[in-house]
Amino acid sequence: MMWIVFGIVAIAIVIAFLEVPSLLKRRLRKELWVFSILLLLGTGISIAEGAQVKLPNPMDALAFVYKPLIDVLFGFFK
Amino acid sequence: MPEKAKIAARQFAILVFMFTAGSSLLLAPAMLATPAKQDAWLAGILGLGAGLLLGLLYTKLGSLYPAMNLAQYSEKILGKWMGKAVMLLFLPFPFLLASLVLRNIGDFLTVYIMPETPIQFIHILMLIVVMMGIRLGIETIARAAEIIFPWFIVLFLLLAILVSPQIDLQKTQPVLEEGMKPVLHGALLFAAFPFMEYVVFLFIIPYVNRPEKVVKAFWAGTSMGGTVIVLLTALTILVIGPDHTAREIYPSYVLAQKINIGDFLQRIEAIIAGLWFISIFFKLIISYYATTFTLARILNLKEYRILVFPLGMLMVVFSLVSSPNIVYNMTVILEVWVFFAGTFGLLLPLVLLGVAAIRKSLP
Repeated sequence: MMWIVFGIVAIAIVIAFLEVPSLLKRRLRKELWVFSILLLLGTGISIAEGAQVKLPNPMDALAFVYKPLIDVLFGFFK
Repeated sequence: MPEKAKIAARQFAILVFMFTAGSSLLLAPAMLATPAKQDAWLAGILGLGAGLLLGLLYTKLGSLYPAMNLAQYSEKILGKWMGKAVMLLFLPFPFLLASLVLRNIGDFLTVYIMPETPIQFIHILMLIVVMMGIRLGIETIARAAEIIFPWFIVLFLLLAILVSPQIDLQKTQPVLEEGMKPVLHGALLFAAFPFMEYVVFLFIIPYVNRPEKVVKAFWAGTSMGGTVIVLLTALTILVIGPDHTAREIYPSYVLAQKINIGDFLQRIEAIIAGLWFISIFFKLIISYYATTFTLARILNLKEYRILVFPLGMLMVVFSLVSSPNIVYNMTVILEVWVFFAGTFGLLLPLVLLGVAAIRKSLP
């Protein structure tokens, strides 16, 4: 568990080292913000997954949204 | 912003070909044989027909604004904020497509070849190569596809020729045993996966150096890729039979395991598996590319490359979360995909074309 968190944070730091210097040099402030937020989000979700938190499955949501249509169409093929 | 890059129509055709073969090379035989049984090849041909029509739709939409990608002209056509909102809804489509394609290769490797390796590490290794490709840009991707294309053809012919002694024509009979319904069912699944996913090519079309050649290239890629899938499906049915095909998760691999020339040339399936590594790599890279550029346009970023690594982290997680197991993949996702792909691969382009036509007719 400790090692998973450590590994993910290490990866995030490496990614930040690859991207941030060139962004700072070119003064792309909005890009820097977007990058930081996405990277934090990615790190957070990866750690949650590594800690075996049950994350919601987007396909379940889609299955719920399209359920009436699926029932009609695939009912026809039964 | 699209990059400043140009690719040849021939390279575009090869990218379409690779995308069509993509993960369908692994999944299509079972997907078609489950409803259509021994008529799976027929369902494949019908689906391919639908794919060619969809190709026309996308090239028509792409020709409205030849220098822009989907995310840019949806803002032109629907207005700035409406366009951005629609693109925000569209964003999960290429993202989940890429995640599921990544999951396919992970599932394949952990089920058949490396059962003790954690699937996450296969995903991460695959994504590292993909992310390098995207950071290098579309020209590099297209050239890589052009270089690898002959190898793909050689491997495919090798597979087709080496299993051909075991073909048993009896296995396709009786034709249309249960009427057209199961065939149409298979054709519909095949039209959604992979043909409606072609919408991601609306991010590649602007780079083709001769826009007038896009239609021809699109059709060439679609028909060749579709033919490969239909041939493979037919071979699977002819060699291992419709029931076995429908029961297997990845029948193409089982087909490759059947290769046996004189009890000497056998067990070369790991070499043949290079086929789907190649095609899935390109399908993944193209859908990832579309994800990156959709997000870059929604946020008006000047530099798309910064999105690549953070999106990759998210993608590894979503490739694990969005498909909890293989049964889910073959049942729930397959049915949802018809409508999910239908919404963004058919409805969205039609609406954009319609609105653009109405706006044009107004003074």
